[in-house]
Amino acid sequence: MTQIKIYQGGEIPSLTRKIWHTFADNPFALAGLWAVVALLLLAVFGPLIAPYSAEYQDPRALLLAPSWDAAGTVEHFLGTDDLGRDIFSRLLHGAHLTFGVALAIVLTSLVIGFIIGSISGMMKGLKASILSHLLDALLSIPSLLMAILVVAVMGPGLDNVFWAVGIALTPQFVRATHQAIHEELQKEYVKAAKLDGANMIQIFWYVVMPNVWDTIIIQTTLGISAAILDIAALGFLNLGAQAPSPEWGAMVSQGVDNILTAPWTVTIPGGAILCSVLAINLVGDGLRSALSPINN
Amino acid sequence: MTRYLIRRLNLFLATSLVLFAVLFIVTNQFPVEQGFALTGILSPSAQQIAQINADFNLNSDSFDQFIAYLHQRLSGDLGISATSQRPVAEELASVLPASFELASVAATLAIALGLPLGVLASLSRHKITQHTIMAITLTGYSIPVFWLGLTLSLWFGVQLGWLPISGRLNLLYEIEPITGLILIDTLMSHSPYSVSAFIDAILHLILPAITLAVLPFTVVVRITRSTMITIMDQTYIKAAEARGLHTYRIVLRHALPNALIPVIKSLGLMLGAFVSYAMIVEVIFSWPGVGNWLVSGIYQRDYTVIQGGVLAVALSIIFLSIMIEVLHTAINPLSRKELYDSN
Amino acid sequence: MPLLDIRHLTIELDTPHGRVKALERVSLTINAAEIHGLVGESGSGRSLLARAILGIPGHNWKITADRMMWDGHNLLEMSSKQRRNLMGSEISMIFQDPSSSLDPVIRLGIQLIEAMPAHKKTPFWRRTKKRKKTAEKWLHKVGIKNTEKVMSSYAWELSEGECQKVMIAMAVANQPRLLIADEPTNSMEVQTQAQIFRLLSKLNQLQGLSILLISHELETLSRWCDQLSVMYCGQIMESGPTLEIIAQPYHPYTKALLGNIPNYTGSVAHKSIMPTLPGSAPALQHLPIGCRLGPRCPEAQKQCVNKPNLCHKKNRYFACHFPYNKEQCNDDPTPTR
Repeated sequence: MTQIKIYQGGEIPSLTRKIWHTFADNPFALAGLWAVVALLLLAVFGPLIAPYSAEYQDPRALLLAPSWDAAGTVEHFLGTDDLGRDIFSRLLHGAHLTFGVALAIVLTSLVIGFIIGSISGMMKGLKASILSHLLDALLSIPSLLMAILVVAVMGPGLDNVFWAVGIALTPQFVRATHQAIHEELQKEYVKAAKLDGANMIQIFWYVVMPNVWDTIIIQTTLGISAAILDIAALGFLNLGAQAPSPEWGAMVSQGVDNILTAPWTVTIPGGAILCSVLAINLVGDGLRSALSPINN
Repeated sequence: MTRYLIRRLNLFLATSLVLFAVLFIVTNQFPVEQGFALTGILSPSAQQIAQINADFNLNSDSFDQFIAYLHQRLSGDLGISATSQRPVAEELASVLPASFELASVAATLAIALGLPLGVLASLSRHKITQHTIMAITLTGYSIPVFWLGLTLSLWFGVQLGWLPISGRLNLLYEIEPITGLILIDTLMSHSPYSVSAFIDAILHLILPAITLAVLPFTVVVRITRSTMITIMDQTYIKAAEARGLHTYRIVLRHALPNALIPVIKSLGLMLGAFVSYAMIVEVIFSWPGVGNWLVSGIYQRDYTVIQGGVLAVALSIIFLSIMIEVLHTAINPLSRKELYDSN
Repeated sequence: MPLLDIRHLTIELDTPHGRVKALERVSLTINAAEIHGLVGESGSGRSLLARAILGIPGHNWKITADRMMWDGHNLLEMSSKQRRNLMGSEISMIFQDPSSSLDPVIRLGIQLIEAMPAHKKTPFWRRTKKRKKTAEKWLHKVGIKNTEKVMSSYAWELSEGECQKVMIAMAVANQPRLLIADEPTNSMEVQTQAQIFRLLSKLNQLQGLSILLISHELETLSRWCDQLSVMYCGQIMESGPTLEIIAQPYHPYTKALLGNIPNYTGSVAHKSIMPTLPGSAPALQHLPIGCRLGPRCPEAQKQCVNKPNLCHKKNRYFACHFPYNKEQCNDDPTPTR
């Protein structure tokens, strides 16, 4: 016989469900999440749905205005640039470059940074302080300088940007993990677990990790937005993706020559970068406010 | 307190040493001849080759080479720029003040505008004010700085024609560089046009400074707002309210000094991104600073310029971040408690 | 005329589960130069009452009352500016954790001087010095001997007892008529507690200061208070002179609280179970209807789903349908909500 519920018992939701509910209650964060999912789909499937290829040049349609302008046509939805390439298709091809490479960089930095950070966070003594000095030195070289050094050694190109931004981003993950773990180790329940007989690995996995993963998630969202901006900036300076590439920053630098006659060649790729970074920051903000009651 | 300062000095020296080591390793990896990478002399004579070998200990093992490299760089020999044939140290001395000026004006602008706005956002109860401020800061935080610079120079410089979009000063003015800081130099010069030169310098400074100030402004507003909200919930604020103090007095004398402490800490964390953005802004507005010099160095593959520029910028970042940390400890009485505990 | 006269105060909070009556028809009367104790478990709404009297409500509170008079003035009709003026000059409050009630980045001397009354008559160049001297005078009065050291240190450098004495000095410097003490000795050792209570009692006798002493320890309150009010879950259960309540409690809850005090005389057998009420205090979203002690009360019967009115018998008040003095409440029971 099924239980008849007479009392309005309060159902206490699990932690993940509570975080999801708080996150979903914020309309901006949810909109950001939809935008991020859309961007991910574009990054994967973009080149397949683009009407033209990224290099196809139509000599009859040079510097065509976007379709909402009187001079534009619908075939070239967002207009063309000075070589007759369709901007909309180039945006779709470039999503895969800007967004995809950013994700790859952040994932790699996250894994490496997390491993190094946990090891250095859990141990004390001379080795940890040497590691932190090395990290402080690397942290003081911002991504642009690191990119300049990498380009000086290996030459320009998008894969070298991967190394440059990756090397610049990893110390931040290491430092964030190290500080979070260090702070957790000061708490009393770690001492209690030690008294219970847990060894270092068990303390790390069962006691420290569940309290640290929210900091790491927030750092990841910050890292993705920083990586996208850095890749675009390096593309703009021609230190990263080189000229005919449809990477969004490189598109902006290719459009700068025509900025007076055809401002859409600069505005539209810049707007695309703005929208993707905004979406990620909205998700990051939403996550931070959803996770903060747990921290308090 | 002195022990703490000595520890910080120690940290500065250790980190700088690691920086030199990294630069040394990278210099050896440059795809050119080692002598050229170290000094910038393209085709050295036999006598110069011997001099280079002696100075940099190129015939011994790596460790000796590192010591010699350290010795050379610390004594001021940064090589010669391959493109302009002038000593790198001299060029560096002429571009550093320009960057410093731009960065300090942008930082001052950001803090002076950001703090009041953050306090306002935390105290206001209207949902619309809060949401507007959060929307503006989020957009400012997400905007790519090169796009912002291009758009601003397009609107204000070209279409409206109000502000100049490149350089520091109109070429018609001749101002002697005394300190290198153009705002001070124009006021101190003896030319009859010094006041109009000053105004012209300010006009040139406005657009780059505003573009650069957007990132720190948004960070300051958000951190101030969240810290103030946490602080206004604390017991001592309620106790001060219970004593009958007015709200503005509570905010100015009790809440704000407590809020400044985390704000300063976060400014220190933002330093790397700020320097990157400063370099991009210099390139866009043709501002003759370190960033512009370094980026044109990489375009022309001028290796000594690259080494000198990276060294200067990274050393100043290390120095500034340690200074900010010392400032943070100095104004925070609670850190003295931790110092006593740890000593 | 009583100094503070509150009748049927109700505070409603907006929670995610709807509107909840955190305080329901609470009545309190404090006379001049009287120490009035308010005893109740944590979560019974005592701090809410203190804040409502003081005038610093939260932003989702709705306060309604039949009567809320301070010295003949109606508190409900005053503008917030007038309330602000009352705060600090006639009513003051000291809080639970004294070291967190002081600003951690400013030295205590500066905070003390800020809290001292502004002497309008002295010319402005002598004002700071005069305030400093007044501060030192008050520090001596509350029992702090080395004023120099205290005034030049930070809040976290002093012990809890010294911090609480500084808070009391700041609170009474403006010569208020009522001091609300919200669990002033919660985190202190017994000797320091005794010092604080002796100080409060001295202030009450010498200056005629009324004190509303909020605590959860019945023993301490019964030693120091003239009048006592017992509160449970946002409702006043019993109120009256301390000695009579302790000698003969009318309300089952008061009797249970008195029974909770361990019997140190040795007449109780070794390892016998201590008498407590079954169950625990209800959460805000599951408040019982009528008398909120109902589910736990040993005397509860069906009539208790109607909230009993506060009965007045001689100088004692109690709200119970089945009190121990065997006299029923004469008023009609209030209809349930």
